[in-house]
Amino acid sequence: MHNPARMRFRTLAVTLAVTSFCAVVYAETSGELDTPEEFDTSHTQGPGDVKEGYESRDYETRSRSLLKRRGVKKDLIRFAQNPPLGLPPVPIPAENPLTRAKIDLGRKLFFDRRLSINDTFACATCHIPEQGFTNNEMRTAVGVEGRSVLRNSPTLYNVAYLTRLFLDGREISLENQIWQPMTSHNEMAAPSIGWIINKIRRMRDYDGLFEKAFDGEEPNILTVGQALASYQRTLLAANSPFDRWYFGNQTNAVDESVKRGFGVFSGKGQCIVCHTMQKEHALFTDEKFHNTGLGYMISFSKGSKDAPKTTRVQLAPGVFVDVSNEKIEAVSQQKLPNDLGLYRVTENPNDRWRFRTQSLRNVELTAPYMHNGKFDTLREVIDFYDQGGIPNELLSPFISPLNLSEQEKQDLEAFLLSLTGSTVPEIVADAFAAPIGDLSLEDPNWAHEETLGY
Amino acid sequence: MRKTTFCTGLAMAAAMAWTVPALADETCMSPYIAKIQGIEDYVYVWTLGVEGMGDEQDKLVTIDTNPESKTYGQVVSVLSVGGRNEAHHSGLSDDRHYLWAGGLDSSKIFVFDIHSNPRQPQLHKVITDFVEKTGGMVGPHTFYALPGRMMITALSNNVDHGGRTGVAEYNNDGEFVASHWMPTDEDLRGAVKTGQHADGYGYDLRVKAESNVMLTSSFTGWSNYMMDFGQMLQDSTAMQRFGNTMVVWDMHARKPLKVLDVPGAPLEIRCAWGEDNRYCFTTTALTSQVWLLYEDEAGEWHGKAVADVGVPSEIPLPVDISITADDTGLWINTFMDGKTRFFDISDPHAPKQVFEEVIGSQVNMVSQSWDGDRVYFSSSLLNNWDKTGDADEQYVKLYHWDGEKLAHQWTVDFYAEQLGRSHQMRFGAYALYGKRPDADAKVAMAE
Repeated sequence: MHNPARMRFRTLAVTLAVTSFCAVVYAETSGELDTPEEFDTSHTQGPGDVKEGYESRDYETRSRSLLKRRGVKKDLIRFAQNPPLGLPPVPIPAENPLTRAKIDLGRKLFFDRRLSINDTFACATCHIPEQGFTNNEMRTAVGVEGRSVLRNSPTLYNVAYLTRLFLDGREISLENQIWQPMTSHNEMAAPSIGWIINKIRRMRDYDGLFEKAFDGEEPNILTVGQALASYQRTLLAANSPFDRWYFGNQTNAVDESVKRGFGVFSGKGQCIVCHTMQKEHALFTDEKFHNTGLGYMISFSKGSKDAPKTTRVQLAPGVFVDVSNEKIEAVSQQKLPNDLGLYRVTENPNDRWRFRTQSLRNVELTAPYMHNGKFDTLREVIDFYDQGGIPNELLSPFISPLNLSEQEKQDLEAFLLSLTGSTVPEIVADAFAAPIGDLSLEDPNWAHEETLGY
Repeated sequence: MRKTTFCTGLAMAAAMAWTVPALADETCMSPYIAKIQGIEDYVYVWTLGVEGMGDEQDKLVTIDTNPESKTYGQVVSVLSVGGRNEAHHSGLSDDRHYLWAGGLDSSKIFVFDIHSNPRQPQLHKVITDFVEKTGGMVGPHTFYALPGRMMITALSNNVDHGGRTGVAEYNNDGEFVASHWMPTDEDLRGAVKTGQHADGYGYDLRVKAESNVMLTSSFTGWSNYMMDFGQMLQDSTAMQRFGNTMVVWDMHARKPLKVLDVPGAPLEIRCAWGEDNRYCFTTTALTSQVWLLYEDEAGEWHGKAVADVGVPSEIPLPVDISITADDTGLWINTFMDGKTRFFDISDPHAPKQVFEEVIGSQVNMVSQSWDGDRVYFSSSLLNNWDKTGDADEQYVKLYHWDGEKLAHQWTVDFYAEQLGRSHQMRFGAYALYGKRPDADAKVAMAE
């Protein structure tokens, strides 16, 4: 069972840690669950609606009960104070020092569906904890009223390190970033920043929480962002088998296939050129923008005479039909612009279809892959790069055919699967313990006694 | 003179089963609610607001359906409710005084008073805390009256917006009573998984009271039913998330008994009315089949596919269905080709299509009068699933049915009138409340 004394001891150990005691601290923050028996960890990795094998008529459900999806609140600040093995120190803005009160408040905001215009959408609606803080159940995201979003929901694991947010890099800090999804018409669709602040101030379950976390300050344009950023900075998933082998010198932490796969990754595969590593740690991203050709292909495939005339559609386990694209077009209401990546931010024609390199950490949990969720499996991603991406005049010079053997591809996939952080179950368990903010009769609404005050 | 009679409650309904040759509800509603056995005065249309059209919000639209009225076939009342909630289905309370209408997106439930002035419904109550009260159910869909109760199926949940969900139970005052979660592999809740599936999904709900059985079907979660239809068809990940089950429940105990495999998203359920006809029908939206759910001599319930609807490989997409009063016919609408089809179900194990007609470029709901003479059609499936451009016709149409052909009577064009997308239809009548038409209606009828 949960042991508060033990928790306090661990927290104290973390707090007192200094660089010279790094090994000791690592032992305390290596991502092992404090008390694994406290909850069923089978709920923490992957959708509860398991669809593996759905392609076959032999598919059998292994659905999990929503009522058994229960968590335990954890002390996530220790991850940020002493990151799990393989991660560098977490950059904390001087104007927003990390505290437990802010993390707790940020977590509450993160799961609050009331922050959207119609009380239906929270940050966690697209960034689902057990689905790698992304959404494994659709290729590109869907926002309020079902409005289509151009891109696949990115994972929030290790987002603390990013200096360019969104895949086109248009934001520079987590504190800033949070306002865009909350106010975007096709995401949470809040009418304005002021509307959100006003609503939080009128929701009684927030009474005193901001004041406690921010030294008397109310919810405002700074504190809302700072709280949400604080929670997200604690979502640090590392101390993976690879980390324990490569950075922790545990020879048996991974098998030989992973070790060979790392050789492919850093050698023949050239993956490491963009998915970079440092001597003491690795984020597996250079945070730069590259054109793989995928965006180019999508932009020009629409209406092309060479484009396929039909789409394979699954109707039930093992049941597929080919549907004419004409028929699909007849029920496609939402016309989205082409996704030109970094160009949308710079309008530099050389930036067309360039997207920020995504980290490879925890890719086991974050399917489907690429900026538009094009690929269901890591093997498809490997095959894409093995063929050299999609040729176009702006293709990254780092991408070219690799001629990987079947064994090399399998090894590379094994390496990628070894990057899943051992801290994940604890982070997800903590997320499960968060209350989901659903509209209650106490909340402001035009149909209630308490209104938004307009 | 119009001929309208009604009966109320289980006891009366059960008693009349032996005395009325063709006891049936006008549009396949609960056997526990009052019925219109004559001509309906109004059809209430739960309508989706459309961005850029009129006031852009959902509304209850009332159409005059009394052929003696001056405003016959016209919109006589529009009641806007605020927001685009993904207006979908509605259901009448057991006393038929109130119409409950749900929003699949906002999970709000709008309770309309339709008895004080049937010509001009009023918004009686808005239930805003469905998700919180039920413990996380999202997307209230079917509203099905049991004595003193409203059973409400949900389609999704607040955790992952997927298809795992449950059935909520409310009382007639609009107060939450209980949540009944669908059985999953991890928690079958006492049910038997008879095949390969126990997905925990939900959609429709009907009862076969003589057998103490409640049936539920399964569709998909918020992520799919709110997604652009074309986008979803091209998303192989999303297409794996449709229901493949029906659940047989103990109606009185509200306990799931059996989970049946019914692959391909079984949607609407319609149960036979004859006391000895211990079966119900559904159609699978994706695999385009008619399924029979039936009780064997030992009292066990089973499901089997008994007919195709159109050419399944072309995905005609069966949507709403409606069973006739005498259990011999079943209307089946298919959204993609805009057709209605009539199946002879005299032998429920071998339905045969005997009629088809194109109603529009798209068609969804079908509601027939209790005598089957009048058949109403509406057009909208889901806000983001309807067709585009000129094919996005939005209407309510009335046809007369003589057993062999449909005869068009009138059309209300919901776009021309700037109303929105027309979805579910429910009937109203003055005689249900011992009333006669009010002053406005009298004026309307005088000429």
